[in-house]
Order: sequence, then structure tokens, then C-alpha cells
Amino acid sequence: MLRKPISRRARFGLGTASVVLMLLAYTWLSQHRQSTVRREQQEVAVMKVAELKAIENRTERQQEELDKWVTLSKSPDAVDRTVPTWSVLYHEGWVRATSEQGSFKRKEVWLINDFAATAKRLVVGLIVGILCSVVIGLLMGCFDTIDAFMLPPFTLLAKIPTTAVLPIFFVLVQINFKMYIAMILAGMIPTLAQAISASVRKDVPEELIYKAYTLGASRFELIYEVIFKQVLPRLLDAARLQIGPALVLLVAAEWMVAGEGIGYRLRLFYQRTDMTVVFVYVILLGVIGLVVDYALIWLRRWVCPWFGE
Amino acid sequence: MVADSNDVVLECRGLGHSFGKKKVLNDINLSIGRGQIVALVGPSGSGKSTLLRAILGTHPAKQGETLMDGKPYREPSRDRGIVYQKYSLFSFLTCEQNVAFGLKLDATSAHYRFFQFWKWRELRKQHLAAARELLEDVGLGEVENQYPEELSGGMRQRVAIAQALIMRPKLLLLDEPFGALDEATREELQLMLLNLYAENQAARRAGQTPPYTILIVTHELNEAIYVSDRVLGLSQYHQDGKEGATIVYDKAAPVYEPHSPKDVNAFVSQREELLRAVFSNQYIQHHSEYVTFWRDHGLKPAALN
Repeated sequence: MLRKPISRRARFGLGTASVVLMLLAYTWLSQHRQSTVRREQQEVAVMKVAELKAIENRTERQQEELDKWVTLSKSPDAVDRTVPTWSVLYHEGWVRATSEQGSFKRKEVWLINDFAATAKRLVVGLIVGILCSVVIGLLMGCFDTIDAFMLPPFTLLAKIPTTAVLPIFFVLVQINFKMYIAMILAGMIPTLAQAISASVRKDVPEELIYKAYTLGASRFELIYEVIFKQVLPRLLDAARLQIGPALVLLVAAEWMVAGEGIGYRLRLFYQRTDMTVVFVYVILLGVIGLVVDYALIWLRRWVCPWFGE
Repeated sequence: MVADSNDVVLECRGLGHSFGKKKVLNDINLSIGRGQIVALVGPSGSGKSTLLRAILGTHPAKQGETLMDGKPYREPSRDRGIVYQKYSLFSFLTCEQNVAFGLKLDATSAHYRFFQFWKWRELRKQHLAAARELLEDVGLGEVENQYPEELSGGMRQRVAIAQALIMRPKLLLLDEPFGALDEATREELQLMLLNLYAENQAARRAGQTPPYTILIVTHELNEAIYVSDRVLGLSQYHQDGKEGATIVYDKAAPVYEPHSPKDVNAFVSQREELLRAVFSNQYIQHHSEYVTFWRDHGLKPAALN
């Protein structure tokens, strides 16, 4: 039968199983990569040893090299950094990301520096973006003139993939903090304002508006006390769904032009095909995203208890 | 019964309305006296809702004018309360807050609530207390902190009526208020209206102005005759029907206080008269034939002069 309900225990068990399976698969893959790399290194070492041994009178340097290859042919030590094992991930990824790095003049903890830089851009961008979208969206939903004026450009802008607009921003705006904010705004407002305006038109029946008039509401009270409060839960949900796209845009821009931030660090390590720090960042991004998402859902339930789950 | 009817609250003068080429309302002249509980019935498509919206002021009629206490208006205001069949409550407010909402909007401004926050808090307590009291009066004392979503349809309509009544509107409009309810709940709410009628009667006996003036739009004939002291029929079946519907029936209805004995014969004969005069497309009469309310009471309100 379709949609046959399962017990809580079975649900929990299946969920755990999928996560464990994922971790096991990663473990196997990383071990496999590691042993492949070491075997290849060993093969090379054996070849080198044979080559060097063929030389009758070895110079001192050649002798040293031979010793090195002999050691390697017995115990290869190559480390795979494309799918790092757990211990490599910890020692070269986590430890490097969370301890001070750099010369004595400019020491920094990458993880804190990068996440702080990105978070600052993201949070400021989101707050300004949400505020602007709420005002524009409410006005569009309430006044047909504003809707008629704003809708055509918004519809067009919302259809353009925002990452494609990045070069325009790099050229037109100086590469600085404001550019990231402007970028997030440009990516966010057309979509979010439209969503809010649609919600105003759909979720606030005219009867409620007429009713508010019969209760003595002024125009401002109508917009703030009735319309805003009625669409608030939808608004919070719509804003929550905009965080993902904003972050995509931000990391992409940082990847291209930033001197700090998550995108910048990912690019540096990508260039060395060193995924250790990359994986640490990616996992952390996932965890933070999950936490923020749940926090916002919880916020909505707290602010709008009437809306239900 | 309606001796004080000469005190006219609402007046419609020559209302006419059309949607494109389709003529809906035609020369509607109507006066409602203070303290009357008027039911408006009519075949579907006769424009009952159009008339109600014109009277409410949200959709003013294209011809004619509406006056309240002698003053023309073309907008909704706090003088006219409304209870709709659906969407009658603000879902983000609890019942208590819903009832107090009108007091908040009417008595204070956003400016006051923001800049005189502490005074507003004090006032708010009084508003909520008044709302609770009214909710208890309509038998909903225990649900004051619930959201409308959590209530049954009948309870919601009670809260909606309380929400409108707390404003003491000069005229309360009910748009098919019990249309979506089951029979038993419907009867409970009709009884609630009869209680309002009883309060009107008590005020009259005490020589005071009756507090409630109500216009209820319904498609239920029985309900119309049962809860009102005056029945209006709006219909397109009259000699000038192509021009739109007009008032073709206007007579007093036998109404009783909640627990007094009822005259079923009078009820049945009025029902048959209504069916013929308002709902039958076979029986076309001059539209003034059954419009005798004011004449029956030997009165002439200003509108009919």
C-alpha cells in the first residue's frame, strides 16, 4: 500500500542507517584512494630502486636517493588529499583550519576569519534585503499602481541567474563590502518581493480588509495590523528559502574576487587539489545551514503560533 | 412592536447597480428604523449581496445614494458592522484579541500605541476585559485564548458577532452568517439573535432607544421569518424586472422573544406569501403590492415622501 505509515522506531532506524551508510561509504572510498596512491608510490619506488641500483659507481647524492626509495618501497607514505581519510581530514583539515596559520606578522585562524567574513556579508545582505523586500512586497500587494510599475522589471530580473550577473557587479561596483551586499540585494529582492506581494493578494481575503475598515482601521493600520500580520508566517518562510540562493551567490563571488571568506579559501585549496580543508568547510556549512533552517522554523512557530506546523 | 420606527438609521434612495450590461439593482428605496431587525431574502442572483455591499459602503451603487442618520456615505466605516459567512475572523488573533481588535483600531492610533506605550497597555487591559465579558455573554467564556482555527464554525460566528457588536455599530449587517453551519448550530445562533431582539424589547419597555439595528441577508426563508421583525424581499420578478431586482416585499414579521410561545399559523402563511411574491417567476405583480411596512404602521419615513 502506498503511504503506509511506519513506526517512529522504524523511521529513526532507517534515518540512522542512511547516515551510517553514507559515512561507511566515505570511509571505504577514502581508504581505497589512500591504498591506491600508496601502491602507485610503491611501484614507482621499486622502479627507481632498480634504476639506481643499476648504476655501478653511485655518487653520494645518488646513494642518498637510493636509500630514500628503498625506504619508500618498503613503507610508502603518500597521502591522498582528494578523498582524505578521517585521520587526514582531522590532522590536515580541522587542525589546520582551527589553529593559527601564517607568518608571525599576520597570524589568523582560517575557519574563524573566513566564516566571520562570509557571515558578515551574508547577514547584512539578508537583513537589508529582507527589509527592502517586505516594504516593496507589501506595497506591491496593496497598491495596483506600484505593482504595475515594479512587476515587469522584477519578473525579468528574477529570471536571470544571479551568478551570471556577477561580472557586471565586479565591473560596475568596486570590489568591496558594499558590492557583496548590493549583489545579494539584486539577487534577493525581485524574487522575495514578488513572493510577498503574491501572498498579500492570496492570503488576505478582501472580506478581512473590509472588516478591518468597519472596525475603524486607518490605511496604515490596515497594512501593518492586518495585512502584515496575516502574511508574516509566509513571509518568514519565503525569507528562509532565500538564504540558500544568497549563500550560493556569495560563495561564487568570493571564489572569484575575494581576499578572505569561505569562497576564497575553497579556491585556494582547490588549486592545490587539497580537499582536506575543503571538506571541513563543506561539512560545517551543511551543519550551520541545518541549524539556521531549524532556528527559523522555530522562530516562525514562536512568532505565529496560530499558523500551525 | 416597531412604534419607534420613525427614527430612521439607514436610508437608500434610488439605488441602482449593474455589472457591465447586466442590470442587477433597480431603483431601491429603503428605510431602516433604529431597533429593527430586518431580514432580506430573495432568489439567488437577485443581488442581495450587491445591495448589502452597497449598504456597507465597500462597493457603492452606481446610481442613487445611501445615507446613515441623514448623512450620505460611500465608504465603509465603524458605524456599520459586518459579519461574513467566511473569513469572518482574523486568524492571527485569539478570540479575545479578535473581539478587542475593533476597540484597539477605533479608540487608538498607531502613533498613540507607539509613543504612549504605557498608557496604551493600561487601556489594552480594559479592552481585553470588555472583550472577555462580551464573549461570556455569548457563551464563549472558555475559548478566549484560542485561535479561530481551533474553533467550530458556530463558535467562530459567535465570536464574529461579538467582534462586530463591541463596536456598538449603528447598523449591523449579517451576510448569510449561518449559511455554512449545520441545523442545530444554526438554531443556537438564531436564538442568539432572538436574545438581541429581546434586549431591544426590554429597552423599548423601559422607554429607551433599542440598542441593536440589524440587517440580515439570508437564503433561508424560515430563518428570515423566525429571527426578524421585518422581512424584505428583493426580486427580479416584478413588472419592471428587466431593469433589475427591486424590493417587492416589505412587511412586519411575527417575532417572539426566545422562550415565548410562537404562532405557527402566522409563520406558515407569511412563508407562503413570500414564496409567491418574491420567489415565483410565474407570479408577476406590481413591485409595490407587498411593500406595505411603513403604511401598515401608519408611518411615513423621510425616504418615502
